[in-house]
Amino acid sequence: MIRTVTAAALIALATPAIAGNTLVPAGVPAAVAKSTLTVTPAAEWNRLGARPGRAAETWTLDGDTLNDLTFYGGIETGQPIVREVSRKSKPLPHFSSTMLPTDLPALLEASYRISLDTPLVEIGTVEPTTFAGASGVHFTYSFTNPADDVRRRGEAWAAVIDRRLYMASFEAPALHFFDAGIEGARKVVATAKLVPQGR
Amino acid sequence: MIARAALAAMLALAAPALAAPKAKLAALPPYAGAYQPQTVDERGQWAEADEDERQLRDSAAVVTDPALNAYVRRVLCNAVGDDRCASVRIYILRVPVFNASMSANGTMRVYTGLLLRVRSEAELAAVLGHEFGHFEERHVLAGFRAARTATDLTTWLTLAGGYAAVSTAATSHTIAGNFYAYGRDQERAADRLAFSYTAASRYRPGAAADVWTRVMDENDATSLGRHQRSQRYDKVAFFASHPAPLERTVTLRELARKDGDDGEDATDTYAAALATWRPQFLTDQIKLNDFGGTEYLLAQLAKDGWTPDLLFARGELYRQRGNPRDLVSAAGFYREAIAKGDADPLAQRGLGLALLRSGDAAAGRQALTDYLTLRPDCEDAAMLRSLAAAQ
Repeated sequence: MIRTVTAAALIALATPAIAGNTLVPAGVPAAVAKSTLTVTPAAEWNRLGARPGRAAETWTLDGDTLNDLTFYGGIETGQPIVREVSRKSKPLPHFSSTMLPTDLPALLEASYRISLDTPLVEIGTVEPTTFAGASGVHFTYSFTNPADDVRRRGEAWAAVIDRRLYMASFEAPALHFFDAGIEGARKVVATAKLVPQGR
Repeated sequence: MIARAALAAMLALAAPALAAPKAKLAALPPYAGAYQPQTVDERGQWAEADEDERQLRDSAAVVTDPALNAYVRRVLCNAVGDDRCASVRIYILRVPVFNASMSANGTMRVYTGLLLRVRSEAELAAVLGHEFGHFEERHVLAGFRAARTATDLTTWLTLAGGYAAVSTAATSHTIAGNFYAYGRDQERAADRLAFSYTAASRYRPGAAADVWTRVMDENDATSLGRHQRSQRYDKVAFFASHPAPLERTVTLRELARKDGDDGEDATDTYAAALATWRPQFLTDQIKLNDFGGTEYLLAQLAKDGWTPDLLFARGELYRQRGNPRDLVSAAGFYREAIAKGDADPLAQRGLGLALLRSGDAAAGRQALTDYLTLRPDCEDAAMLRSLAAAQ
């Protein structure tokens, strides 16, 4: 009993009050990242309360850092894609609507290098794709977070629509978790669309 | 005296073709050799350092290239002498920051950002010698004890103050200040010891001051680029663990002047040893989003002329910032790099993307097509082909 109370207290301390994790039911369209970007998952996912950035949201199957499906919903010109770690000493690069499709993987790479404090971030293949009904870019990447020294692989889809950046990325440890989760993530991303406002 | 003669003989052996032998060799303090931790504190610290080293050894950030590792070790050995450098394990870490450090158990970490910034073996020797100075003087242990004493004192003082209902803030402040001042004294001691290493080595001891001058200037350029105020280098912040860089530079220059600033710089051998690595170190630097600092660094590296790799790096730096005027400048740098003949094919890619983004579609598509001819199997070929073909 005491142990349960202690555990509950620890969890309460570890996560801010607003950061409630919630279940995303299967088969129901879900608006993500405080935007009109909408996906319809075929299976259940967990929406993490802690957001990586102001206009971003992360879903997971087994837990944060084991498999993360992150949505970026309409990042505006002049905004970083994830939260600044230190605006003064380590400012992140900002998105600009004039960026070319090849600049988007580079934006993610530089943001990760700076916020994770490691040069071990690499972009792999980069190819054209359709994301949320618009022409965009699909790319693979890998990185090693110095905090745990685990090499992770990632795959991302991005498009600039109405001068805003919409992106989805799936990343998981290269060992087992990436291969186990990527198909499910691709299926979710394939359902992405921008729902016109006012509906 | 015998030690000095032996050292001179050793140096002569190590460098048979030394062009200009130093007029005066300073004597090094005798080295105790293999050392085992003595006290509880020290054994605990070594155990921790050993554990850190085990993790470090398997880290993906370690640059394992045998040639580069052997070269850095040779410079350290030249700087501090073979008997001293035998006790050190060197780990080159891919971190784009100017730094090096040394643990109590003899683990030396050398950051690639340091290798990119120093310009000669003499400068590298000065920095590595400084870190070795901390090791030889066992500063980590002394620092740990000082930290523990300071925090213990502060804790007890706060408790006692609580009971006595008096404010202890001022006294705690003094204790904390003493602790950080203590760290600065250690740095000065390491500087002095490092100086005596380089003075006794084949290298020019004044190189140490050159390094510090450029570090200050680069920090200023970073601040300026980020629209922040430049740091003051003549004042010591209360919590600063290192002496003011200006004080350091002045002291080191003065030492060099007194000792006679002769010896070799070995700038060319340094450049040759780092040639294959510089493109990667430059890439890591450019992706730090530090326009001002990187621009200063590139200008420093280009002191003797802009080489294709530096021009390419500058193009990437400007294209990354991406203001309309930057894209025009970037295209210019890429073109200069290409005109010099042996530029990386990536310069064609950069040129194409800079032109496309600044609206010069026809020329941009042509440059991308040229790049794809040179590197048809590059990883972003599909995306670039689509950009080159788009109308």
